[in-house]
Amino acid sequence: MRPEDTAPRAVLDCGEVRTCLLPAGQALDSRAAAQLLRLRADERVLVSERPNVYGRSPDVLTGVDCPLPSSNGARVRAVGTVAARAALTEGRVLQTSAHFRVTATGPDHRRPWGHYLVRPAVVEPFGRLPRDAVAEGLLGGGRHGDLDVGLIAAGLQTRLLRHPLLDQRPPLRSRPTRLRWVAVPARDGDGPSLERFTLAEDELRTVRLRVPEGTASADVAALCDDLALHDWLLTTLVRILDGIRLGPGLPGPRRRPAAADDLPVVVGALRPAVDHLLHLWMPRARVPGHLAPLWDVLEDEPGFTRQWLALVQRVRDQLTLHAIPSARREVEPTP
Amino acid sequence: MLVFAASDKGGTGRSVTSANLAYQRALTGDHVAYVDFDFGSPTAAAVFDVPSAMRGTEEQGLHSYLEGEVTEPAGIDIWRQTEHPVLRARQNQSGRLVLYPGDVGGGEFATGEDALERCIDLFLRLHGEFDLVVVDLSAGRSYAVDLVLAATAHPRMRNVPYRWLVFHRWTHQHVIAAAGLVHKENGIVRSGVDRGHDEETLQGNIRFVRAAVPDPESPLWSQVSHAQEAWMQACNKALRRLAADQRIGDSVVLGTVPLEPILQWREQLITEDDVLSTQIANKETLEALEEIARRLTDDSHWGRP
Repeated sequence: MRPEDTAPRAVLDCGEVRTCLLPAGQALDSRAAAQLLRLRADERVLVSERPNVYGRSPDVLTGVDCPLPSSNGARVRAVGTVAARAALTEGRVLQTSAHFRVTATGPDHRRPWGHYLVRPAVVEPFGRLPRDAVAEGLLGGGRHGDLDVGLIAAGLQTRLLRHPLLDQRPPLRSRPTRLRWVAVPARDGDGPSLERFTLAEDELRTVRLRVPEGTASADVAALCDDLALHDWLLTTLVRILDGIRLGPGLPGPRRRPAAADDLPVVVGALRPAVDHLLHLWMPRARVPGHLAPLWDVLEDEPGFTRQWLALVQRVRDQLTLHAIPSARREVEPTP
Repeated sequence: MLVFAASDKGGTGRSVTSANLAYQRALTGDHVAYVDFDFGSPTAAAVFDVPSAMRGTEEQGLHSYLEGEVTEPAGIDIWRQTEHPVLRARQNQSGRLVLYPGDVGGGEFATGEDALERCIDLFLRLHGEFDLVVVDLSAGRSYAVDLVLAATAHPRMRNVPYRWLVFHRWTHQHVIAAAGLVHKENGIVRSGVDRGHDEETLQGNIRFVRAAVPDPESPLWSQVSHAQEAWMQACNKALRRLAADQRIGDSVVLGTVPLEPILQWREQLITEDDVLSTQIANKETLEALEEIARRLTDDSHWGRP
């Protein structure tokens, strides 16, 4: 048996982030946010106002004892705890995320729970961890009964969405997203790198990272929360613009005829974006400095901020166009 | 908005009509969810032509979700997964159309407080994602009816608008049955009030849809004799009187779907193609469906100025 004091090397971090619009007519102010995020009576909610208003719940731990998913069918039982937490950005976007770190090896039996409880968010495999197969398995999603970090994030999300503070009046239609990530150690001497960012299904994104040894698991989780938040913002704004009919032209044959005063159609669709989304874009706001370069990769290709700015410009142009009194418009923009 | 589709009897065309309404709304650009609370019925898969997509949802349907076995019920994107050639060529600018099927072979839902909470979670989630959520309820006073009455009366749902459509055929028995489903002692209104609904509000949110109504003026009946025609007119008049007596008269009717031969043969969506190209469906049927779909959210048809 391995001596208790030499902690085995961590070889894999993994997590999932669920991001959704907070279903409330008005954004929550800092105090209400703190109330929503008070998941534990014994620990305070972190509230910060710079560079944006942000609240984060304390971590809650879930004990797990189940097989890890793997891409080659190997069933590796693992025991430990998964940390989950919720965050609210500008009182408007709710994220729940769960993450854990797996050690390279572990004993082939379960230790007393006290051992796991003093190692929050660490899961130990029985025996040796087939790292690459498990990393792929985690990203691909496991079989029923395998450790599913997404379930823990989803459970927390459900719990928060039932909070009586929420009036269930979302100001716009939007879809929640899931971002599942794994991080494996970088090769010796290499800095952090983003190997893959995939839009897997409509709502699922997967991210594969390499991080230098010694990088804190919580730091990687913070980076992924930030990626998930901005991916959700971009996705949501794209869909708002995708769903509306712009510019002059005849209404489609099956399209519901627009109301006589056509103003509300385009303006009505774009206004919630201005009220609730456009000010939220702030990449790297909560990313530890040493992981910030990972964002640069996404800025180069596909160019997150570039796309966001183009969309924002489109929203503003449309609203400007509709602000011109119709008598002065050359062509009536019929939506 | 949530729209509950109910009927007292089977064979009223409830599922096929409500699916058509969902389809019509999606064509106009709305994001629409069709939630199949008609347990164990294979109608929805047939109407939307998604038989193979239904495989793989056996254990992730609404039953498993309400029982807490999965955290999210499976959803089928109709435009992408349908085998219907016209639907596959999704019209530009149409909204999403997603079917949430029940589990295959899953009978009635689980009861209890947990199922109710999960049902509310689901409705709220769909309300945040879709412009219109059509919930197809099984025929009669089922557990599903109680479940959604309890859900809509819950404080968490106070800001979510909902409406009921009660489908019935245009016969003596069906008129009485539909009125009973809503107004009788253990009907929707009474059960709703028992669960905390305000009687007048709930009543005001219920409208009727007459389905498979033979129009005596239609060319279908152009060959009938004078005696037959006179008899049909008299019947129609008597039915209207009966409906009014039963408190389901014209003022609470959202629309009438004419008797449509192809729907008698096969549950399906009526597309523009069926009317214009192949001409297997009647123009009047499509127009009636379009009109009812429009009225779903037109407050003037719901007693609101």
